[in-house]
Amino acid sequence: MGEGSSISFAKRPIRDSKSGRHSVAISRIHSYLIHPSKNEATSPLIGGISIPLNGKLFDLLAKIDKTALRECDIDIMFRPKPNGKQQNDSRDVLLAYLKTPSLPRGRAIAQLLQRVTTKRSGLGLLFLIVSQDQHGLRLLISRFPAETGVTAEERGQAIEVQFVEKVFMKNTHTYKSALFRCTSIQAGFWDGLVVDKQMIDTRGAADYWTREFLESDLKNTSAAGTKRVAVALQKALKDETDPAIQQELINASQLIINRHGQITSAKKIVQDLSLTSGAAMAIESAFVRPELYDSTFKFDRDEFKACLVFRSVQLDNGVMLTAENSSFNRVINVAQADTGKTRFTTEGNIVSEKLQKTR
Amino acid sequence: MTKSLKESYDQRYDKVLLPIAANLENLLADHLKGRPHIDRIAVRAKSPKSFLTKALKRENGKLEYKDPLGEIQDQLGARVIVFYTSDVKPISRRVMKYFRHIEMLNKQPKSEAEFGYFGKHFILALPEDAIPKKVKLLDAPKVFELQVRTLYQHAWSEAEHDIGYKPARKLTKIEKRNFAFTAAQSWGADRIFQELHKGLKRRSG
Repeated sequence: MGEGSSISFAKRPIRDSKSGRHSVAISRIHSYLIHPSKNEATSPLIGGISIPLNGKLFDLLAKIDKTALRECDIDIMFRPKPNGKQQNDSRDVLLAYLKTPSLPRGRAIAQLLQRVTTKRSGLGLLFLIVSQDQHGLRLLISRFPAETGVTAEERGQAIEVQFVEKVFMKNTHTYKSALFRCTSIQAGFWDGLVVDKQMIDTRGAADYWTREFLESDLKNTSAAGTKRVAVALQKALKDETDPAIQQELINASQLIINRHGQITSAKKIVQDLSLTSGAAMAIESAFVRPELYDSTFKFDRDEFKACLVFRSVQLDNGVMLTAENSSFNRVINVAQADTGKTRFTTEGNIVSEKLQKTR
Repeated sequence: MTKSLKESYDQRYDKVLLPIAANLENLLADHLKGRPHIDRIAVRAKSPKSFLTKALKRENGKLEYKDPLGEIQDQLGARVIVFYTSDVKPISRRVMKYFRHIEMLNKQPKSEAEFGYFGKHFILALPEDAIPKKVKLLDAPKVFELQVRTLYQHAWSEAEHDIGYKPARKLTKIEKRNFAFTAAQSWGADRIFQELHKGLKRRSG
């Protein structure tokens, strides 16, 4: 495989087990050993190899490639240059490799990763998998961390035991991945999907993987993602007819505020708050597209408060008043009583009434 | 190729771009709600004729776009027209608060001695909220173009586009000078209105 080799597909089509159709055709796999090199005066040479498109390792990588679209669930977007120009060094290196997948071009990607890898991130094994599906070209980048292990070799009736430090993929569920897709090399890609299975909270992706190595940000801005959830919650409240679910949504809206700064999604919030299936369904169906329910963003408390049109006041006599924020002062009259306390008055038709153990 | 490209774009225009354009306009209006001095917010889907003209553009005999459907980024074009030059910055900040950008350029003539087009241009990630449920995400463009400019910048640009962008013949020197003159007048009008606005605001404040 020379430097100038071009992409040729349909070499190893992976059969879709359900439909029997060929779904993804892997054409190249390269692998590199990445040493921590951030802030180091000299960067170690990067060893690399072209992985044959058959055998057990290929089968394992093909499996990872096949599930990549499902696993990588965080949308990212490449950053432009600080002067606003539509150019990104990391993207350029990735596209150059995708155009002509070769060991030297793949090494350029490995160098980008090595340059930002700290000792804390440690040694890693990088795989670059080039493939094609019905929508166009795909590039999957996966990094597996080095782990430790013990090997045992039989020597007649004895065994030889050795401690080894460069063990990779012992746990194939612990890795970082990034998936990029495009209809053509000319069109390229400006967005992609990532996952960081090394983080306990998989909704995040290490800064070093997304921000530094890929020079990207979350595709959703904090404000857009937060506003979307606030609007969905508000719509769910309006559409919901079950008072118990309404109350649950109201409570949830108060608790959500504590998530300021967290990388999350509506789905994750619902799961973390252990909302009932009724409340979860109400929120999910309030999004304009189903995909948005699981869309990742960084929660912004101020944006949420600004968008949520819902206000709740609790009094020291045990009464709780709740109304939409925009109409609160219109439907609930607030006045100062002679006692120095605040008097709230309102009138309307009772649409539901029930006894509850808790608020 | 042209025929299939035309067919592909016609289909995209009707089934994908037009419905997204309507949603995107609403979304933009919602994100910019409450901002003062906005004259209008508009989103258009690039017409098939305009798309084909751009797609078949050649430079040095070679087609500029090898994959026009994937490469042309202004298939959806949005405009926010504001009253004063001082409104461009806060609107741009607001845009960047809600949309991820891959390009942000201040378009202006290369030399300080020239007058021509002024405007702020963004290429932004198309938010999924703007894509109707019936449209598959993979069928929608990934990005759209947004221009923020003043009323005078907009007026000049529209007239220049109509008269000067694709003239039947080469412009004469005096015609070119006339264009520059109108651009200078627009620039001057923006400047005076900005000063008036600032001065009156200070006095009333």
